[in-house]
Amino acid sequence: MPFAIAFALITLTQSSQLPVMPPNMPSWLNNSTADTLFYKPASYNWDINRMPAFAKDMYATGVGHAMAYEAMVTGGAPELETKTFNIIDWVLKHQPTKPVDEGAISPTFMRKYGSLEKVFDWAHLLHFQVIDVFMHPGWTDSQKEAEVDRLWKNYSSQPYAISGLPMNMEFLDGFSYSGKFRKENPKVNGLFWGYHWLQTVNHDMLYRVPVQDQVAQYALIGNRYRETELYRIDRDFMPMTAEMSPRFAKRFPQIAASFDNLHMLHDNVNDILAQSNLSESQKQDQVKIAIYRVLDSTHKDEDPGDAVPKSLHDHRHPFGIPGMGMMKGSDEDSMFMAGMGWMDMSKCSHCSISLPDSGPWGATVSAEGWTMSVRCLMCARDMSAETPGRAIIRASTEDPNRLLVLISDEEGNWTSNIKEVVFLENYGDHPECNDWSRAFTSRAAFDKYTKANPEFKDVKPLNLTDWGKLNHGKPVTYRKIDKPNPYGMKMEGHGGGK
Amino acid sequence: MKIKSMFLVVSLLGLAASSAAHEGECPFCKLKLVQNTKDQDNEVVLKFGNKRIEYRCVYCVVKDQARYKTDLVVYAPSEKVGEPVVLKRTDGKWTAPAGSVFLNTFTKHANCAELSRAFSTKDAFTDYAKKHGAESAKPLNLDEFVAMVNKPAN
Repeated sequence: MPFAIAFALITLTQSSQLPVMPPNMPSWLNNSTADTLFYKPASYNWDINRMPAFAKDMYATGVGHAMAYEAMVTGGAPELETKTFNIIDWVLKHQPTKPVDEGAISPTFMRKYGSLEKVFDWAHLLHFQVIDVFMHPGWTDSQKEAEVDRLWKNYSSQPYAISGLPMNMEFLDGFSYSGKFRKENPKVNGLFWGYHWLQTVNHDMLYRVPVQDQVAQYALIGNRYRETELYRIDRDFMPMTAEMSPRFAKRFPQIAASFDNLHMLHDNVNDILAQSNLSESQKQDQVKIAIYRVLDSTHKDEDPGDAVPKSLHDHRHPFGIPGMGMMKGSDEDSMFMAGMGWMDMSKCSHCSISLPDSGPWGATVSAEGWTMSVRCLMCARDMSAETPGRAIIRASTEDPNRLLVLISDEEGNWTSNIKEVVFLENYGDHPECNDWSRAFTSRAAFDKYTKANPEFKDVKPLNLTDWGKLNHGKPVTYRKIDKPNPYGMKMEGHGGGK
Repeated sequence: MKIKSMFLVVSLLGLAASSAAHEGECPFCKLKLVQNTKDQDNEVVLKFGNKRIEYRCVYCVVKDQARYKTDLVVYAPSEKVGEPVVLKRTDGKWTAPAGSVFLNTFTKHANCAELSRAFSTKDAFTDYAKKHGAESAKPLNLDEFVAMVNKPAN
């Protein structure tokens, strides 16, 4: 540990130079022999195929990464934005129906960076098995959550496991080589960050959502992914798991953080391979150092919140988001989010009142590629109404085991996964909005609530259509955090999207 | 019918007035929405089904219109507080009240809210243009304004 801190400090103070090789590198990093780990045997494996469109999009992400890596280690870097991009794009439009062995696509890369592939493969298996569990029919939410906890334990037991601690993203993206790949190859980098969007956004689509209600959401999410997110070149930073799936990240902070650390390792590797001034040996060393930084074994006995600020061992996280490390410019209270600007994640994105610590957690709104947490159904509806395009609301009801999933069309007309849903909305002060704006799975549940809360005894229940037509506009309590974009100025008038 | 329309306008204006503290961003240009003041309305409200989306200026609305597939109503702030110029897009065709004219002279989006606006009369246009250094600007009718916005960039 003392050495690790010293190493961190050295790399921090020498950020304009290449990171140096620590002496305590795990020996397996120099072992190029195959060591393939496979799925934890289980009845849920491959249940991702229950949603073929989603499965194919996910399988295609691995193909694209492998093609780009193979091009970069075989002299194809100058054609990444043209020939390679076009091939990957073709694959994304003609996805494989089964998982593809990346070694078959990138044999040269595998020979040169075999230890890296072990880390990638092991983390990707966790990705897929978590999805499989959530898509498994017949299990309760509690059973699924317990199994995902077991998956994390199984994952962490192997030497190739990536740390589940939040890590400082500004530090991890602050080396002399950082940013080169995305600057020189914005289209291919856009594809990679588009993959990361899909790989992180899907967890809230699935988590505690009944299997039969998952497909309808992917009709919207899949379109957004294929038409917009893959081709965005205006992102400031890669999508983070807690941004895209805040409910999942709150329940499984270690898995969320490990996915972000994995994705940052991808970015580090991209940047290292893009360095034309480094020898092959230097690139291999730098990739090993990048792996070392995010390994679970490197951070043994450390905990979330531990901090050597802006170093390798900075495990602070914004307040209310234990599954995400500090971002560039962020502090415990606020962070800069793509498409949203500066946000305080502990507060409602619509009315700026603090999110409740207990009880029904309110709702999330997903639209235009972002997902935000809000205090109540009214905040969710009105926030989506002021946003162009389709939207998804995932909201608590009086029944902790029944999640309400509302999906809107372009005009803001809603459909519900709970046919008998009724709403309470007795407009009042926002600090209490989660009391007077609620959803119920039935009229009987509504009556029970209003009987227990006499102040609502004269309030009539609203059906979905009538509730969807209401709009109270923007709350006077809303406050936008007025700070500049820490990643620099954006182009004016780009309009977002493609 | 007229009473119903008036009620809608008043409702929307009430909505805008109650949101004075809000500081959202324009869906098109991504710059901050300019808030209404006691002397001048600035928030452009687009109504589309159950959606009520605020834009920074009428240019941004027309430039962004392709994403909306069905009919639109736009409440464009005018020279009179509380009395917007109501634009409609019905079956793809834009209409505006008789006599309304448009200013569209901004070169940077930082100025779009100030220099892309609707007016109920030509006299109001002339008065506003003089106060905002746009004396040489030509008052545009709706068709000219939409054509100018949709003109391909050189």
